[in-house]
Amino acid sequence: MKKILFLSLIVFVLGACTENISDYNTDTKNPEVVPASALIGNATVSLFDFMAEPNVNVNNFRLYAQHWAQTTYPDESNYELVERNVNGSAWNRMYATVLRDLKDAKPLIDADKFLTDGEKAAQHAIITVMETFVYSFLVDCFGDIPYSEALNSDIATPSYDGAAGIYADIITKLDGAISALSTQSGMDGDLVYGGDSDAWKMAANSLKLKLAIRLADTNNATAKTMAEAAASGVFASSANDFKLGYYGSTPNTNPLWEQLIQSGRSDFVAANTFADALNSVNDPRIPYFFKNNAADGTAVGGVYGTSNGFPANSQPGYLLEDPTWPGKIMSYTEVCFLLADANERGYSVGGTAADWYNAGVTNSIMEWGGSADDATAYLAQADVNYGTAAGTWKQKIAFQKWIALYDMGFEAWTTYRLYDWPNLPPAEDSQRPVIKRYTYPVTEYSVNGASVEAATAGGDDIQGKIFWDAN
Amino acid sequence: MKKLSLLLFMFLLVLGSTWAQRTVSGVLTDDTGAPLIGANVLVKDTNVGTISDLDGKYQLAVPAGAATLIFSYTGFASKELTLGDGNVYNMTLSEGVTLADVVVTALGVKREKKSLGYATQEVTGDEVTRVKDVNFINSLSGKVAGVDIKRSTQMGGSTNVVIRGAKSLYGSSQALFVVDGTPISNAISNSSSQQTGRGGYDYGNAAMDINPEDIETITVLRGAAATALYGSRAANGVILVTTKKGTRNKDLGVTVSSGVTVSNADKSTLPRYQQQYGAGYTTIQGWYPEENGFEYFDFGDGVQLSANVYEDASFGPEFDANKMVYTWESFYPELDTYGKLQPYVGSENDATTFYETGITYNNSFSIDGGSDKSQFRLSYTNFDMKGNLPNSSIKKNTVAFSGGYDITPKFKATSSISVVNTAANGRYGTGYDNRNPNQSFRQWYQVSTDFAKQKEAYDLTGKNLSWNPYGPLDPSSPTKPHYFDNYYFNRYENFQNDERNRVIGNVTLNYDFTSWMSLMGRVSMDRFGEIQEERIAAGSIDVPKYDRYNKDFSEMNYDLIASFNKYFGADDIVSFDGNLGLNIRRTTLSSIFAATNGGLVVPKVYSLANSANPVAAPTESAYKIATNGYFGRASFGYDNFLYLDLTGRYDISSTLPADNNAYFYPSASLSLLFSELLNIDGLSFGKLRFNYAEVGNDAPALSLLNTFDLGTAFGGLALASASNTEKNANLLPESTVSLEAGVELRFAKDRLGLDVSVYKSNTFDQIIPVAVTGATGSLFKYVNAGNIQNQGIEVALNTTPVKSGDFTWNSNITWSKNQNEVIELYGDQTNIQLTGVQGGVTINAAIGEPYGALKGTNFVYTADGEKVVYPHWNGGMRWRKTSTPEVIGNVNPDWKGGWSNAFTYKNVTASFLIDVQMGGDFFSLDTWYGYATGIYDFTAGVNEKGGQVRDAVDADGGLLIGGVTQASDADGNLLFDADGFAVKDADNDIYGYAQDVYSSFGYVYAPNAYHVHDASYVKLREAALTYSLPSNLFKNNFIAGIDVSVMGRNLWIIYKNSEYSDPEAGLSAGRFLGNQSGAYPAVKEMGLNLKVRF
Repeated sequence: MKKILFLSLIVFVLGACTENISDYNTDTKNPEVVPASALIGNATVSLFDFMAEPNVNVNNFRLYAQHWAQTTYPDESNYELVERNVNGSAWNRMYATVLRDLKDAKPLIDADKFLTDGEKAAQHAIITVMETFVYSFLVDCFGDIPYSEALNSDIATPSYDGAAGIYADIITKLDGAISALSTQSGMDGDLVYGGDSDAWKMAANSLKLKLAIRLADTNNATAKTMAEAAASGVFASSANDFKLGYYGSTPNTNPLWEQLIQSGRSDFVAANTFADALNSVNDPRIPYFFKNNAADGTAVGGVYGTSNGFPANSQPGYLLEDPTWPGKIMSYTEVCFLLADANERGYSVGGTAADWYNAGVTNSIMEWGGSADDATAYLAQADVNYGTAAGTWKQKIAFQKWIALYDMGFEAWTTYRLYDWPNLPPAEDSQRPVIKRYTYPVTEYSVNGASVEAATAGGDDIQGKIFWDAN
Repeated sequence: MKKLSLLLFMFLLVLGSTWAQRTVSGVLTDDTGAPLIGANVLVKDTNVGTISDLDGKYQLAVPAGAATLIFSYTGFASKELTLGDGNVYNMTLSEGVTLADVVVTALGVKREKKSLGYATQEVTGDEVTRVKDVNFINSLSGKVAGVDIKRSTQMGGSTNVVIRGAKSLYGSSQALFVVDGTPISNAISNSSSQQTGRGGYDYGNAAMDINPEDIETITVLRGAAATALYGSRAANGVILVTTKKGTRNKDLGVTVSSGVTVSNADKSTLPRYQQQYGAGYTTIQGWYPEENGFEYFDFGDGVQLSANVYEDASFGPEFDANKMVYTWESFYPELDTYGKLQPYVGSENDATTFYETGITYNNSFSIDGGSDKSQFRLSYTNFDMKGNLPNSSIKKNTVAFSGGYDITPKFKATSSISVVNTAANGRYGTGYDNRNPNQSFRQWYQVSTDFAKQKEAYDLTGKNLSWNPYGPLDPSSPTKPHYFDNYYFNRYENFQNDERNRVIGNVTLNYDFTSWMSLMGRVSMDRFGEIQEERIAAGSIDVPKYDRYNKDFSEMNYDLIASFNKYFGADDIVSFDGNLGLNIRRTTLSSIFAATNGGLVVPKVYSLANSANPVAAPTESAYKIATNGYFGRASFGYDNFLYLDLTGRYDISSTLPADNNAYFYPSASLSLLFSELLNIDGLSFGKLRFNYAEVGNDAPALSLLNTFDLGTAFGGLALASASNTEKNANLLPESTVSLEAGVELRFAKDRLGLDVSVYKSNTFDQIIPVAVTGATGSLFKYVNAGNIQNQGIEVALNTTPVKSGDFTWNSNITWSKNQNEVIELYGDQTNIQLTGVQGGVTINAAIGEPYGALKGTNFVYTADGEKVVYPHWNGGMRWRKTSTPEVIGNVNPDWKGGWSNAFTYKNVTASFLIDVQMGGDFFSLDTWYGYATGIYDFTAGVNEKGGQVRDAVDADGGLLIGGVTQASDADGNLLFDADGFAVKDADNDIYGYAQDVYSSFGYVYAPNAYHVHDASYVKLREAALTYSLPSNLFKNNFIAGIDVSVMGRNLWIIYKNSEYSDPEAGLSAGRFLGNQSGAYPAVKEMGLNLKVRF
């Protein structure tokens, strides 16, 4: 009896070691394979969330465009990037989430037995359109970035590629995508266009037009070819906008709502720069853009780049406080201004500069809630009318585009960088002029030091210009 | 396998029937005839032994053929006794020369300390329970050389235990805890955001479940040679806990112990506030409408002045009892002060009054006894603690059993089991979070806040009547809290709770085949289930929320160990003992975290189903891992003065790639008792020891294959994302290589003892998820890389300076210094950022620096070390700071030490312990923000000109920050000398307006380096006075003894350099030390304990 007791213990112990231990250490909760749509969906939401986000740790483009000013803590208005790692947020979100998930979706699409070759090609093309936007965004933020060696887990320290070269390559790939989008994608879970390849094709052409105008000051010939090829296929109305509709319940709400309403904070007011501009042209969009305006309906702006009181100033408007307010990355309004610009440069894109200028202004007023009459009256003003408004054609287009891109902070800031107009003053506290680019995240210097140092031989400064920023 | 079993079975049968034994007994006494309690009795050449009971009696089954008994007792000379025909052997031991101290070593093997070629140090249970702590590990601080213990200042918080320096770049560097041979989990289940100061609760470290009342001894095994047999996990050192056991042949003994402790916040570790100025920032142009810096508010009866109640800073207008304004009390209709003007005055009860007196009851009860064939001990301990914040408590109940029974004289069964229930309610919020009151007390605050009134407002209404409402900021909802909640509301409504149920136990069977060989089989289990629930109530600033985290952990260890013990040669001059063994470990973990989404439907109902929006995807984790280990040890002794140990272990681990999952590691150690060879006057004992050891280690679970994280669906579309960490299917085991040498000397009949160790260890090929650029598509990637070196020296000095008659003074000093250096990292990386903390400071492993280098912006200095300042557009001067991060501090102490003293006079023992850390740094987010918000005492008062610092510069006010200006050339370029130092232009004599200049002290303009503080301290850690009532009082009744003690802990911080905080305060144990964010004060404890033995 006693010996059996002991023996059974021994048998138990020895028995345990005859198991095959390689059956252990398996993750039973996190899968190694998922549907491609889940990855593309996540990439889409992550991208739109990022672009819509007003949290100062993530995205301060609405500040850089001087649409908004800050209340108590104006560090970000003064272009403080490092403390909150704002540049790192953009870098990591775009590479490690958006581009990574898009990349991982590709082999899953190829392995899908239920897709035709045409559908596979169309889905790859949709991914390419998104990748093109993301890489152009990264170049527009940073300049040179890892590209040819990026997203390869075997290369821990990818080298940087020249910004202009990356533009050339993504444009080539975008052209490929445009032709591949002739087949319907059949893609499940396309949160933007519901798998409609024609819509994606318009987005691709609109993106191509945007990139063409970015290049126009430095590479007119390429820009002309691109713009003329794209012009016939761009967005035709706001219905085509590249946007994501949000939901009323968290976590699928617009990040704007989370920051403006849910957080209970009071961080942002209209910037004086923007408020003064809107007031100067009696802009009918003021009550849609802002609330808590002056009794006479004018916007009251806080001084950009310093601390401002909250109750005394105009505050982001009621529309932006709706959790279902869509996040928008490219719009028909934007396209109108791009076509106006192309006309001025003599590109054959149809219409006239004034037509497209008027269309852009009108579309913007109406999409924010104004009427056609509002738009007509507005455009009739001498300082708005394209024929009579002061300034060069670039200044006229830049000014109205900058207004129309309210709530598309990144593009509004980039519009300023491209046209150097309107005349945005330096931040009040630091007296720093408007930031021209992001410096590289501090982590690049610690984890990819040799590569970033090779790329920054000419310096790594917020006033350094992106290659297309000739002026 | 079947054949093997059969063979073993037959082997057992044969051996079991051929060996007989007898039982001997006796009494052990000292020179005075007093019984020696707990003395060791060992049959020479065997593992057979016992310890004497409370009356000094022992009884022992001696194997046939055994000839000699060895009697030993700490502090006494050991004696050997040759057995004759009789069965009763009494023995008297004399104090003095000790030769055969027996210590517990790896795997529970008891060995003579002199034979060990590595350092060990023991702490008795008495030393741990003398001044009881919720976390027994804290009681080791200052008592063991080479052990760096960093306690938490949060109730029930986690204690960091690192032995001989941090070895792991990424994994845990915490010591392994082993209880009665059972390795137990010391997991820290704090989230990484909690650990880096982003809010959350410190749930403690799991080893704190061990009940100090049940501890007999603690042995600390520091080096790899001592721990190699434990395998992979012991590379960071082992803390071996041996629990109390019953005694053979002893009448039933009952011990009742009852203690009460009161605790209070140590004022020297709390902020001191200025008492002159109220809420706001006075100079911001046009911000406050009234020219003296007040707001306006209209309750419908005309516009009146209002304090800037919505601000969380105190640079506002000067207090003036004659000035009537609206304060926070004016805005709440629930209060009778509603709509009424209040005098604009400071606070009678500032934030430091928020701390309450804590009280802890500790009651325990134990029964033990034994027959000639068995012994047992049962105990129950109830620990009931009320913390220092409102609504905080921890309750702990421990039931423990240990027993043994001789099935036959050679076949013994033993078991020890403890069942622990720990339940906490209202742990303290940590970090930069509204649940941590210190976020405001130390950073963002109005010094005018009266906490008695805040408490009254909450008690009256049960609502969130904050000192920080919108007020004039939003006249349409003036009572909405702006940045901060009422902290009483927060403590009582937004509380968390957690509970852990744990069973730790083992069953051991031991069979003595012969006098020189025995076989032990043991199954040990450590298993716990844990729940953590957190909540945010409706009415708080943050979205109402409920979340829960459930975790189940189980680890089974199956051991089969054969022990050998044999003497050879003439007079048995060569001794041999050793083990061959097998260890099978199976660990299972499963956890789930789920939270409500978007608020709660029904207020105060905390369930997932009460979520306003559909609950987001829960986070689940579940895995099992397995390790099979085979090991052996051979120890040879020659003539009682030279000992050689060899060990080897071969592990197969499931966490490594299947085709490369096995690894072997050896150790060797040598012990030379030179005092046996040389006769040196006064030297009673002298030993040299050397060892070399390697320890392999496997990978963390689930680090081989990439997986996707599943997210919450977006409008019906399931989402998934690639993990941020790239896994690696080609990982290799990591290894630690260590060398150690030591000397042990005792003089003057052991009145003076010195034990010195020097060591060096390198941990190579560490398995780390190294940070990589996001451009790779991940943020981290598992690789084998790196080399961290630790080298150091440990000294233990034990003295008995006075010993005369009834009076004894024992004085022990421990001192250790560890130098840590990161030698190599991944690829050509020279720095790995372990984490970034708020304020822009990073904690790093940088080549050439110790692990845990703090980096951030620094001052710009001249060659003479003067700080460079520059004129600011807003007036006054600011420090110039470096544009790129520099090393500005390091979390590792230069050295640690402890000085413990015990004075015994007859029945009275007085003791105290001084605990010292010199060096080490921490970054304080508290001063980073707090120095810029005008709350601290130094931001008000008189300047060098005799004016008020907060007055205008032209009215003799303002502040001078000193420093020098930097010279520049004709083009305005700043000048630097050849070494890169700034060239001085002139001394700075420019005053600036106080609020603006103080902003240069804090987060806006200050270099991070200004907020790196020295973590040195000298503390009176423990003091105790124990009186044992004279035993003749109880001669004629059933009481066997009564001890009464008074004790104190953390009574006095004798020295520190951090102005307003405890340098030990932190967020959590783990890798991210050196960061204070909303630090809690040190807690002084005073207690009374009564122990009655029946």
